[in-house]
Amino acid sequence: MKMFDFPIAGANYAADTRNYPWHRPPDIVSYDEGVDYLIRKMNEPEELELVYALLKIDTHVATVVSAILMQGISRGKFSIDLAILMAGPLARYIGIIADEQEIKYDMGLNEENRVVITPTSLKLALGIFDDDEEEDPDEIVEEAVTNSEGGLMATPTDAETASEEEQAAMLGLSTDEEEEEPVDGLA
Amino acid sequence: MKFEDAVKKSIKAFMNGKIPAATNELSEEGIFHTPAYFDELEEEMLSEDNDEEIVDEDV
Repeated sequence: MKMFDFPIAGANYAADTRNYPWHRPPDIVSYDEGVDYLIRKMNEPEELELVYALLKIDTHVATVVSAILMQGISRGKFSIDLAILMAGPLARYIGIIADEQEIKYDMGLNEENRVVITPTSLKLALGIFDDDEEEDPDEIVEEAVTNSEGGLMATPTDAETASEEEQAAMLGLSTDEEEEEPVDGLA
Repeated sequence: MKFEDAVKKSIKAFMNGKIPAATNELSEEGIFHTPAYFDELEEEMLSEDNDEEIVDEDV
């Protein structure tokens, strides 16, 4: 029955939060054991391929290290504190294997060298060249003002404006207008 | 401080030759994976590669 198809109020208080890997005691608690585990993991072909690919697209080593450590923490392999301690050795090892493969890399530790991403730099990186940007903006504004054609709310030009006589005639104020004689001569 | 910032700080300290002092004191032998260990490992790994290249050239 659909009536009972929802959580019982207060069920969250009775749930076993130890179901998450990071809520249980970690598998590795020793620094050296943890670094050994990471080095062994880094030597797996799949992991190596991924790291090489990331470094080749100019990903910083610090970013790669963060991702690998986060993965270990989420799987309950080691604690957050131990992960931070192991970041240095892991980054150093990644640097060594990158040198071995002659891959240029950046540790990503200097904020000064950080490349600020702007719309222009993104366009250049993607090979998008906008020719309209070179036009003088004043000319564009002038064109917009002179080309006032179209639209009900547009400013009327002289050709569109009725003369004063026409306007008076439309309002029924004209006195010069001769009254037309009726065709049947009944008047 | 974000996790990524802590990681960067840790990497920077390790690259400057610092090791986790409290962890080092936990055992009598101290920690094994020190910056010096990685320097030796780097020499070994890169020299192995050079040796292989020389052998290949000879063949």
